[in-house]
Amino acid sequence: MLRSLALISLLLFCPWQAAATDFSGYAEAKGFAYRERLAGAPYGTGWSTLFTKWEPALAQARLTASLRAEWITSDERGELRFDPADRRLRRSPVALPDLWVRLPLAPSHDLELGRFQLGWGKTDGYSPADAFLPRDLSDPFADQKLPLWGVRASGQEQAFRYQAVAVPVTTPWRLPPLGSRNAPISAGVLPKGTVLREREESPPLFGFAALRLLLTRGDWDLGAWARSGVRPAPLLEFTLDPALQGGPAPVVSVGRRHPREHAAGIEVSRVAGPYVIRGEAAALFSDDPGLGDAVIGTLSAERGFGDGTLLVTLAANAIDPPVDRTLLFDRGVLPALFAAWNRSEEWGAWKGVWITGLERGDGVLKGEVGYNITDTWKATLGGDLPYGTRKGALGALHDARRMQLALRRSW
Amino acid sequence: MISMARSLAALAATAILTTLCAGAAVAAPDARALLKESESRHRTRTQQYAGDLTVVSKEGKVRKKGWRSYREGYAGDAKNLIRFTDPPEVKGVGFLSLSRPGAENPDQWLYLPSMKRERRIAPQDRDASFVGTDFNYEDMEEFDHEKYRVALQGEETVEGQACYVISAVPLDKGTGSVYQKLVLYLRKDILYLIREELYPKGEREPAKRLVLADLKNVEGHWVAARMEMSDLKKGSRTTVSLKQISFNRPHPPGRFTLQNLTREGGD
Repeated sequence: MLRSLALISLLLFCPWQAAATDFSGYAEAKGFAYRERLAGAPYGTGWSTLFTKWEPALAQARLTASLRAEWITSDERGELRFDPADRRLRRSPVALPDLWVRLPLAPSHDLELGRFQLGWGKTDGYSPADAFLPRDLSDPFADQKLPLWGVRASGQEQAFRYQAVAVPVTTPWRLPPLGSRNAPISAGVLPKGTVLREREESPPLFGFAALRLLLTRGDWDLGAWARSGVRPAPLLEFTLDPALQGGPAPVVSVGRRHPREHAAGIEVSRVAGPYVIRGEAAALFSDDPGLGDAVIGTLSAERGFGDGTLLVTLAANAIDPPVDRTLLFDRGVLPALFAAWNRSEEWGAWKGVWITGLERGDGVLKGEVGYNITDTWKATLGGDLPYGTRKGALGALHDARRMQLALRRSW
Repeated sequence: MISMARSLAALAATAILTTLCAGAAVAAPDARALLKESESRHRTRTQQYAGDLTVVSKEGKVRKKGWRSYREGYAGDAKNLIRFTDPPEVKGVGFLSLSRPGAENPDQWLYLPSMKRERRIAPQDRDASFVGTDFNYEDMEEFDHEKYRVALQGEETVEGQACYVISAVPLDKGTGSVYQKLVLYLRKDILYLIREELYPKGEREPAKRLVLADLKNVEGHWVAARMEMSDLKKGSRTTVSLKQISFNRPHPPGRFTLQNLTREGGD
């Protein structure tokens, strides 16, 4: 604890100054206070992060490299190991979120190579075009995407745009320690008191290939995409190994499987008076009996009210999955309604988010207030309140109800 | 032949200016003609600058931002790209505005590096504060007098300069405007806008005032090196200081495209 406090102080108050405008980054100290103690987990945990990014221009090319060092007081922190593709179960204290170069092929055509983050789709809250991209759920309430190693060609000719992506290395979804308060396994799937032993396994090497085509015409933005390859979200495999059964509670070994999946989808958005309406539809196919097919649709409406924005998204899967849907992480919450209100103020910003599962009635209420102390110092106070049945993907997080306070210094 | 055409053009221009300026004592000049002449004098094919932006709240709290601004075209056919450089919180945020022939409002998109994708902004969002400043999204658009019913209200002296005072009311079809009226103060000698008062819909008093100061002649074009937008209700003000201003230099192909907007670290 003393070590982490010392590190937090060092990161926040060291007289760091960027040497040039090519450098940026932040140091952040974040504390979580939980409503209840769970199975030895403390009432409070802390995260401290040092993030720095370097973006030099190399003639016509652009290089971006970033490094993240962090200290987490809970089990979400893994060992310090070389894990450049985030393939291990837990977060390494040191990570490489960006390492890519962009080469201009023509005035409106680029090639990017390296480790970068993608953002696809139109609808907010849930987008089937974006949902397949790997997430880090170590913090289950933060939608934190993982970057990919890959090659991306992108360009624009008149109103048409394209993106072609090849990802030669699978970066899998990262889950919190299973059985912890952050673990997204609902009650009823396993007997009470079950001890979970996670197996560190290597996901399939080759990732996926994807193509996205976009057209902007007047008030309309249209798009179509297709992808094929390894699904980054895992299927969990529970096995009862007799050799592990020695105590009063059953011990279950948990492995992860990453089947292949093929998908295609369309996306559309339109300005309609004061609203921006967005919609997506996607068909996902898999031969794996533990995954099955899916037809996912989303519809969202966004409207601005001065400095505030209201966003509502409805998302649903037309095909019932063959297993408990909470174990299919990218679609575990469907059908669901997402509503968010963001507002910027002179002193900072605040937001409220409500996500509710429409089948089981569980959900989560989130609130956050960010106060800009100066242009480089920011304090954030927030809370996450999951509610409803523990059989739902969100209600299962009941024991993770929390408040958080963060202090960030940027440069 | 060319020199004759130039002479004829010079004669015509002289005649117009004589009518506009000297003739003012006899009959008030036409507001539309003044604005057309102003646009004709100050129109440039392109413009770019680096802006230092300071927001001062009513309580005196100061926030600073930096951006680079690029423009091609003018008024109704303008394309604009703004890229924030500072502070770290907004670094890399991009704003693209493209005028579309026949459309009431330009198409506008915002790129947020945290989302890795662009977002289209609805016309009504134009009342929202532009990244925490006293400018809203509509204020960021180039003023196109063709979209307003204009009338000369009179003459006034502002900051020691004689000005034409022109009211501009959005045309009925231009319902996308968040304002019911603008009052423009045009310097008589160089027909350059030095003050603008902005009346929101349903209000009798101006809610905001834009002051353009520190006029410089750069590459043969007048430009205000300092713009200050005051929110008269909130008591806050945003000052933009323009540096590294240049005109009529060609932009690289593809600068005003969505592909370029989504280029991280790009211009």
